[in-house]
Amino acid sequence: MLSRIADSLFWLSRYMERADGLLRATRTHYLMSLDNVVLGDKSWRPVLEIFTTADQSTIKEIEYDSHAALRMLISDQNNHSSLKVILTRARENARGAQDHITKEVWEETNAMYHYINKSTINERFDERDVLQILQQLTQHSLLFTGIADMTMPRGLGWSFMNMGKFTERCFEILTFCDKHYEMINYDLSSDKAMIHWKELLFSLSGYELHLKTYRTHNYNRNVLHQITFNEDFPHSVIYTLTRIEKYLNDIVQENQSPANNELLRLFRKLSSRIKYMDQTSLNSSNLKSFLDEAQNEMLQFSNQLGQNFFSYQ
Amino acid sequence: MSIETLLNEYTCPPDIWDEMCTEGKVRSHYTKMVSSFQNLNVPDLQQKDLLASELFMNQGITFTVYSDNKGIERIFPFDIIPRIITGKEWDVVEKGITQRLKALNMFLKDIYNQQQILNDKVVPVELIASCPHFLREVHGIKVPHDIYVHISGIDLIRGDDGRFYILEDNLRTPSGVSYMLENREVTKRIFPDIFAANNVRVIHNYPLILYQNLLKLAPTQVSNPTVVLLTPGIYNSAYYEHTFLAKQMGISLVEGRDLVVDDHKVYMKTTKGLEQVHVIYRRVDDEFLDPLVFNPTSVLGVPGLMGAYRKGNVAIVNAIGNGVADDKAVYAYVPAMIKYYLNEEPILENVPTYEMSEPDAREHVFKNIRKMVVKRTNQSGGYGMVMGSTVSDEEWEKAKVEIEKDPRSFIAQPIIKLSTVPCFIDGKFKPRHVDFRPYALCGPDGVTIVPGGLTRVALKEGSLVVNSSQGGGSKDTWIVDL
Repeated sequence: MLSRIADSLFWLSRYMERADGLLRATRTHYLMSLDNVVLGDKSWRPVLEIFTTADQSTIKEIEYDSHAALRMLISDQNNHSSLKVILTRARENARGAQDHITKEVWEETNAMYHYINKSTINERFDERDVLQILQQLTQHSLLFTGIADMTMPRGLGWSFMNMGKFTERCFEILTFCDKHYEMINYDLSSDKAMIHWKELLFSLSGYELHLKTYRTHNYNRNVLHQITFNEDFPHSVIYTLTRIEKYLNDIVQENQSPANNELLRLFRKLSSRIKYMDQTSLNSSNLKSFLDEAQNEMLQFSNQLGQNFFSYQ
Repeated sequence: MSIETLLNEYTCPPDIWDEMCTEGKVRSHYTKMVSSFQNLNVPDLQQKDLLASELFMNQGITFTVYSDNKGIERIFPFDIIPRIITGKEWDVVEKGITQRLKALNMFLKDIYNQQQILNDKVVPVELIASCPHFLREVHGIKVPHDIYVHISGIDLIRGDDGRFYILEDNLRTPSGVSYMLENREVTKRIFPDIFAANNVRVIHNYPLILYQNLLKLAPTQVSNPTVVLLTPGIYNSAYYEHTFLAKQMGISLVEGRDLVVDDHKVYMKTTKGLEQVHVIYRRVDDEFLDPLVFNPTSVLGVPGLMGAYRKGNVAIVNAIGNGVADDKAVYAYVPAMIKYYLNEEPILENVPTYEMSEPDAREHVFKNIRKMVVKRTNQSGGYGMVMGSTVSDEEWEKAKVEIEKDPRSFIAQPIIKLSTVPCFIDGKFKPRHVDFRPYALCGPDGVTIVPGGLTRVALKEGSLVVNSSQGGGSKDTWIVDL
């Protein structure tokens, strides 16, 4: 497979996964912010910090203005990580690899791109049509995932697409996690009320699983366990690493090269760190460095992956 | 309203060859289709029209228009009524194009080697020397099987005498073949019964023939050659066609940045490392192919490609330098080439052509401009064309100054009233002008032309310009055996 095609497929999936994460987080935060009495703080700051490159002064300006924040997250062309820009990039990657994706995948990518580019979308934010727009976009995103799964032939292209998807998801979970624990100063000993965690769990569609799985009220620890170590939760770090491992093995098997040793080493280092972590030893003083190191190693791994397979420029 | 009344209302303008009707009667090869249509009514046809545009839209069969700066993707307008040509007429076209391609191939071999045709003064030396597409860089290069024009899209028109004439030779990177194939697929979907009843010759094996031809061009010692299609990228106006052909042939679609030349061999950069490429079907123009030899700012090409080509390590399709043979001024000499190389009379005639570099011809054209069309010799897609019948005095004065500045870059032809066919427009049948582009494939075993081609329609009333970039559309074209 051409390196450029592999790169395009990887990024097509990464951008679509990012779009999915952005949509879930935005929708959850919007819903939560309506509930003024309970939540108290309506600030969009955490979401804006995760998903945009806006500077502090801009964030300060709009953090309490839902519509401005939504516009920036969803349809602002000047924000280089808005949904509109992400989908444009996803489509460009799909277009460049058009002969390697199925017609159905192309059509859905195209449809989602055209939806976000409808000229009326900004006006509809003002008309308080917000939830419907977010709902429809989320559905497009789910359709994309389903269609890709149903129609894409298994093989190298599929492996690279999944690599992209789970790499992105892993980064996303680690960033979310970092942001939310930062807000409580990485304190694992005391207990924040469930209401604080609800947003994080909803953003990762893990609220129901949490209720079913965890019986104690030790929320700070339980939530950390769920999104880091719970193997059944599709938005947990360990789950994404398990999936990455499968596709990485498939890719390496088909593309033998000495450079793969370094790639495998980096991956296994990160994977063992999570898998064999003594969870009870995690405490308020080492949680931050644990998350930092995990993010750092993930970054090194994805850079090496790019060097091994995508360096065609 | 019934279709019958619509058909009765169909009137073709006088002095023009209409493909369906003559003196109010339907021509025999159209009768079957016309009588099948009589079972339908207008809403049926409108329904089918809608279905056809949906089929094109959903598949993203689009091209990009650049004249409005934005590079917007549009659907290529498609008219649902097929155009019918009889097998007998087709056989003449086929023979004529085969003959012409034979001569043009020999001309290209000659012009880049001994240049006997220039020494014998059949074609003037100045004409070739002043042609911007005559490339000294490829002089003396041996190409596999002496084939230069592997794929051609020669434009034909039917004059008011009912005969086909050659309008233009496209020997570089002719496009549109995907529309020919897709139009047929859509027609099969919307008129399955009518299609089956008409005995239409098949065209769907085009990609397979092309692929077989490409394989045969690889260096003989290679048992399993790698063929790729080189595209300028996703922003090119014909990108859809590139993906279509690559998919249909099962070959890799590559961009310049995917390829690299090492030791005069071409490789593509894959996840497994470098993989040698033996045949390149390129859809990138000559001047962008190799920045070391041609345009140094090109990022579409591959540095060192010419070296590999010269060594014979890679075959490039179509050959580099073909532009000298489809220059619109050189076109006038093709009948002479046919006589010179083959000692035959041309089966298909040219449209009379005036070279503006000749003072007498120029004067004649200037005097009779209202009956003439002036074209640039090195432009395609209908850009830079002056239609004498519609141009305003002011614009013509401007054009005149330009022509006098550089007469070699212009030719003129009398305006030919292209034949008309019925089109389904706004719920009625209306006559519109068409041309015809069959796609010929030239391989080591000879010339193959799939029986069909792209019929381009000027959808504006009275317009004679059929180019897609100028508001033209297309039709499915049936070659039927009666």
